[in-house]
Amino acid sequence: MKRNNYIKALGLSLVLAIGISGCNDDFLDSTPNDQITLENYFQNNAELQAATAPLYSKVWFDFNDKFYYALGDGRGNNLFAPYSDYIYPFTNFTETSLTGPMVSAWAAFYNVVGQSNNTINNIRNFAVNVTEDQKNLAIAEARFMRGVAYWYLASLWGDVILIEDNAAMVNNPIVPTNPRNDVFEFAIRDLEFAAKHLPETTGQSGRLTSWSAYGMLSRVYLSYAGLHGNSDPNSGTRSAEYLELAKKAALKVAEESGLELNEDYAALFTLEGNNDPEHLFTLNWVGGSTEYGITNTQQAYFAWNSEITGDDAAWGYYTYASWDVIRTYEAADQERLHATFATNGAFYPELRKEDGGYTYEETDRCNVKKGVVGSSKDTDGVVQRMNSGATTKMLRLAEVYLNLAEAILGNSASTSDAVALEYFNKVRTRAGMPTKSEISYSDLHYERRVELAMEGQYWYDLVRRAYYKQQEVINYLNNQERAVQYEFENGQYVAGDANTAQQVATATESMLLLPYPEGELVQNPLLRQDPVPYVFNEERINLFE
Amino acid sequence: MFSKGIVLAFLLLLTVPFSAFSQDLTVSGSVMDQQGGPLPGVSILIEGTSTGVITDIDGNYSLNAPGTSVLVFNFLGFESQKVSVDNRSTINVVLRESFMSLDEVVVVGYGSMRRTDVTGSMVSVSSDAIEKSVPTSIDQVLQGRAAGVQVQQNSGAPGSSSSIRIRGVNSINATNEPIFVIDGVVIDGNSGSSSNNPLASINPSDILTMDVLKDASATAIYGSRGANGVILITTKRGEKGMARVTYDGYMGYQEIPTRLDLMDLRQYAEHKNERAEANIVNDDSFFIDPSILGKGTDWQDALYQRAFMQSHNLSVSGGSEKSTYALGLGYLDQEGIAIGSGFERITLRGNFDSQVKDWLKAGVNFSLSNTNQVLSIGSDNANNDTMIKTAMKQTPNVSVRNAEGTFDGPDDNMYVQTNPVGLASIRENDRERLGIRSGIFLEATLLKGLTLKTELSSDFNMNNEYRFTPSYRFGALSNDVIQSERVKTYSKYWSWNNVLNYTRTLNEVHSVNAMLGQEMQESQWEYLYGYRSGFLNNAAHDLNAGDGTTSQANGNSGQHAMMSYFGRIFYSYDDRYMLTTTLRHDGSSNFSEDNRWGWFPSAAVAWRISNESFLRDNLIVSNLRLRAGWGKVGNQNVPSYAYTSVMSSVTTVWGTGQLAGNTANPALQWETTQSSNLGLDVSLFQNRVEFIADVYHKKTDNLLLRLPLPAYMGSQGQGATTPPWANVGSLENKGIELTLNTVNVDRGGFQWRSNLVFSLNRNKVVELDTETSTLDVTVQEGSEVTPVTRTVVGKPIGQFYGYKVIGRFNKGTDFYYKDANGQVKEVARPEGIGIAESGVWIGDYIFEDVNGDGVINDSDRTFIGNPEPKFTFGIGNSFAYKGFDLSVQLGGSFGNDVINYQRRWLENPRENHNLLVSARDYARLGVVDANGPENDYRNLEVVGGADDMYRLSASSSNANNRMSNRYVEDGSYLRIQNISLGYNLPRRWVEQIGMENAKIYANLQNVYTWTKYSGYDPEVGAHQQNALLSGVDNARYPSPRIYTLGLNLTF
Repeated sequence: MKRNNYIKALGLSLVLAIGISGCNDDFLDSTPNDQITLENYFQNNAELQAATAPLYSKVWFDFNDKFYYALGDGRGNNLFAPYSDYIYPFTNFTETSLTGPMVSAWAAFYNVVGQSNNTINNIRNFAVNVTEDQKNLAIAEARFMRGVAYWYLASLWGDVILIEDNAAMVNNPIVPTNPRNDVFEFAIRDLEFAAKHLPETTGQSGRLTSWSAYGMLSRVYLSYAGLHGNSDPNSGTRSAEYLELAKKAALKVAEESGLELNEDYAALFTLEGNNDPEHLFTLNWVGGSTEYGITNTQQAYFAWNSEITGDDAAWGYYTYASWDVIRTYEAADQERLHATFATNGAFYPELRKEDGGYTYEETDRCNVKKGVVGSSKDTDGVVQRMNSGATTKMLRLAEVYLNLAEAILGNSASTSDAVALEYFNKVRTRAGMPTKSEISYSDLHYERRVELAMEGQYWYDLVRRAYYKQQEVINYLNNQERAVQYEFENGQYVAGDANTAQQVATATESMLLLPYPEGELVQNPLLRQDPVPYVFNEERINLFE
Repeated sequence: MFSKGIVLAFLLLLTVPFSAFSQDLTVSGSVMDQQGGPLPGVSILIEGTSTGVITDIDGNYSLNAPGTSVLVFNFLGFESQKVSVDNRSTINVVLRESFMSLDEVVVVGYGSMRRTDVTGSMVSVSSDAIEKSVPTSIDQVLQGRAAGVQVQQNSGAPGSSSSIRIRGVNSINATNEPIFVIDGVVIDGNSGSSSNNPLASINPSDILTMDVLKDASATAIYGSRGANGVILITTKRGEKGMARVTYDGYMGYQEIPTRLDLMDLRQYAEHKNERAEANIVNDDSFFIDPSILGKGTDWQDALYQRAFMQSHNLSVSGGSEKSTYALGLGYLDQEGIAIGSGFERITLRGNFDSQVKDWLKAGVNFSLSNTNQVLSIGSDNANNDTMIKTAMKQTPNVSVRNAEGTFDGPDDNMYVQTNPVGLASIRENDRERLGIRSGIFLEATLLKGLTLKTELSSDFNMNNEYRFTPSYRFGALSNDVIQSERVKTYSKYWSWNNVLNYTRTLNEVHSVNAMLGQEMQESQWEYLYGYRSGFLNNAAHDLNAGDGTTSQANGNSGQHAMMSYFGRIFYSYDDRYMLTTTLRHDGSSNFSEDNRWGWFPSAAVAWRISNESFLRDNLIVSNLRLRAGWGKVGNQNVPSYAYTSVMSSVTTVWGTGQLAGNTANPALQWETTQSSNLGLDVSLFQNRVEFIADVYHKKTDNLLLRLPLPAYMGSQGQGATTPPWANVGSLENKGIELTLNTVNVDRGGFQWRSNLVFSLNRNKVVELDTETSTLDVTVQEGSEVTPVTRTVVGKPIGQFYGYKVIGRFNKGTDFYYKDANGQVKEVARPEGIGIAESGVWIGDYIFEDVNGDGVINDSDRTFIGNPEPKFTFGIGNSFAYKGFDLSVQLGGSFGNDVINYQRRWLENPRENHNLLVSARDYARLGVVDANGPENDYRNLEVVGGADDMYRLSASSSNANNRMSNRYVEDGSYLRIQNISLGYNLPRRWVEQIGMENAKIYANLQNVYTWTKYSGYDPEVGAHQQNALLSGVDNARYPSPRIYTLGLNLTF
């Protein structure tokens, strides 16, 4: 062995060792190629817009998937599904803190809140090369979403936790709830900010405008009118202040937006009607995609057979109109019925186009039509498995008109106010219904239920009423003939036996709210304790000076 | 036999004094084994010199030696023998196979050691064990053969993964799998999925030994990745001598060992009629008279098949004085016992080692594997729609095929099952993998005892997944949308290490081995996904045959790097006192700059009492050693970039959107495990009895966990911000491991050996820094999401969690009880549910009101079972006589619970799908007073059915099948894992056809299982390799029984 050989080797290894040590941290530093890091984002206005875009879809997915209709229509008994465990617990008042869609919806609302917060705070902290107006616009979009999510949370669970900065809470997530009224006020502040900073028109169809915010405010003010300053849920009266605000917000949209109802009710629920000007707020799903999370899966749960969807995702055979809603439709209300529920003999040219259309022939039920748009072949590929590509209707001009009428009706038994009648009758006329010259609460109740059926609204109408007429609502819920089957005989639907597959529980006061999800209670025992008032650190904006 | 040894030793002593006066003479002879076969390659050395020879192929030798010298015969696997020449010219020797070689060298990580020098806790499994079973993957070899190593197959499907737990569950994040180091290349045993096994690409017959490092004093040399244990795998390399060609192959078949007792058509029809009577379903006009019906379709028969299996391995090895080589070719083809599953593997490998200079050694090794796994039976992807479950549920009135021979299906399409045989047969779901692993090394001897080794290794993997859903019509079920998906993944790993090694013995008593090393590793991976639908027919499956407007693509990539420095010092004094210390310093890219580097020290001592003067020549005790060790190791298994904030892309109607992707935790650091070990090694009667005992205590701190934030933190579901990874608590494992190896009989050519391994581990969560110290894991079935396990402080992890059934309402008075004050109270019922036929009724379960609030609700769930076994064991016996050898391996587990999860549906009498026959034993109700009312619970009682079954009811308000202790079963079992019988053809026969050895053998795998468990198989493993979902059987693919016949030839 030559001595200089190993000296060479030793020398080489020493050089290597030193060389390697020198670049330790460079070697260990790595940056992702498949994700953008926060430090590299929010560099221009386009990036701000891209940061608000997902707030119109993915964060709402788990809400839209089942809860939107299962609770919104199921619990109000527009919908009956005795074998679908994602619907009947709501219809039968037998949901528990583990009921799947409820747990998912809770998480989804808080995803909306969390991602809106992230967007708001990241824009405030990191955005560069953008104007203050651009910042405010993007923040207004996020605050609108957060406000709507909190309206849902307050309506469904009452006292919930208000969060403005998720990142700051990670190290101490166990906090008490805030009272329902504070949650309403929080939502109202968000929506008022949105109304002030959102534009009147946008370049991208489907994006929020200030009319969206005013429209949503009319709903939220109206709801809160039953709570504000009202300690007795059976007082029968609502806050005049908030009724007035609801009226002003609705009037603003009705008179200043220049928007009109679409002449054709059914057209609103076609793919062409996805972002019709009447829609003030929609969730925008990506047609043609099967990527979970960005699709509208509702059609798969409504379609009553594979012929409709053209694939195996058609699970709606036993998801159909309740007897209570079928008997509610007035005989003349065919246009809205046809667009909402399929009845025996109803013909739909847009389904099964290759066969020249589709005639509904079932006799023991009326399946859900609103939300069903056809197969991939019927829609040039927009529909995919578990994706209808249809927008989810969150707020329509028609509802704002009805909010206006209800705000004007206020605490009276009926009204003949010209403005109220004008807009109330616009909704009826469009549906081919005769006009009215006087409006009572029951007129409004009918109109709202039928106009917005299968748009996830009905339960919230009942909740809103229960804020000041609780016993009336509970009695109503117990007299709805839930779980009754029906049959098409001699040209009309007649009631049959009760379906005994599931027990229907008696509605009580406690069923006006949902239980907190089990996982949350386990992790945060403070949810069982009294709420703690929220400290607002922001002045309210006065929109109507 | 040891009496002979004494005589021999005595003779040796006598001969020594006379050796001084002698002359050289030629000594020749032959060396044989005990069966009389010649032993080629035996080294013969004149004692005290370096002169020697090696026996030729016929076992003959010849050399010149002084007449008074002593010859030392040495051969691997045999006891060495000393024979004095005594002026004889012919010396024939019979070598005795050694029972256990204490001088055996084992791999310890960046080096090797004599087994007797190892101070840590480790266990080796040799190629013998592989030959005596039918392992298709190396993880299966360890089952029941190594104390402290618990191996459970997560699925019986060909090519699927196992859960390997070395000394219990160490971490609550997904990865508890040890790392595998194959000839220096680190392979992670974790895949996070039941069907995908990263170890399946390794051919077990290429393995020489597997050395399992168990305690931290042994694994600390692997630092931040050693916490779950390390399994070092050495592949076969060439040996000096004539080239040796070996063929080993077997063929056989497999079948399902047990069946579930599901209803046949007549039973199903009768039951459906009863359900119609109970107003659950409408009358079925086909079932008016069940007695005329036949058996209908047995879906288990239809899905399971007798499956063929074959394996062929060809290897060539050999070498000269300076260079050795080994080449191998392997092929495995395993059909699955369920239609639509299978596994195929081709492996090629070679290595070459050479002494290129007298101071420099070089070597290269290379291995290529190509596997193809068929998974159309089900998949881990998307919806976990395994056809196993569907076959359990499909009803016997549906036929597999219709008259034209095409697949049939149910007559209507609501709440029915698909045709599992049809779907598994026609859809495509294949996973192909190509792996190339290679390495080169150079080892220079710088000074006497000082070497420098530099080694460069790489591992490349390419994965192709092919998924195709064709259009079909199974009865009323149809699918028109033809879809194809293609997935390509590519990963690349390389490492480079430089190790200085110094060995020196001073004054014959101080033996020192010092090692110093440095290593850098980097891995990168990429993923690419493509999708199209709109195919016109089912003929062409590739994406380009689909409709381009439906295209979807996705992709991502990632990387990981590590830099390490490490060293080990071993010191032994007089072969009596030993000390090993190691230290490793690791830097990982998984952590932020401030938390990147960690130190991992260890120390262990051993006292070889048998080498003390008072025991040195003891005839009974041949080895007695005490070991004690301590060490600290890490687990860094978190995704890259958990420490920094990233955005996640979301497709929207307005183009790509961005959401906050995660909550960053810059303070994230290693999970560290400290473990202490006490060990005892005893060998008696010249190693005929070997006993190894270890006691350990492990404590894991800074447990890595993705924080289970409440959902109101925006942490769950679509569009959520993934919660931060954090260090959240600690976990403890303590246990005992015993190994006993004995030679029971060795007389007249008959040999009987036994080995017994026993492992006992107790796991406990010591601390959880989550706010409520609770972790729940759920299982989703349809839209029902059920918490199945709960992990809390003070209990072992992953405890089964649910309601407790404490009885049944058998009669009206059961609804009431008298409390301590004699007051009549109502027995707790589910919240809001009254006593009614559609509510709680006679024949419903009584659940325990755990919190005593008078109602049954979510707060009444409690701990109902523990998946951790009290102990596990393995018992092996092998017998050899003349050319025959027989071995029987038993294994088992005692005291663990298993959730038979599918029973929740298969035993629920109101369900629409097919059921277990036992579901028909539902509680039957009758009136007490025939004249009384039929709808008053006070006049009803249970009059028939099984004692533990609930009633058949139209309503499910009591939710009798809720997750409860009714579905927790005893998972203890004893299994004959393997019986193998071999026969070595007599040498004189095989020599005539130019062969060295020929053996035929038969093997039975998974022969019989004694268990009370009512599912397919009590060995369930962990769902998705998730340690918190151990022992949950939700239609697991059953492990096959295998019969094979094989042939082993050596030329």
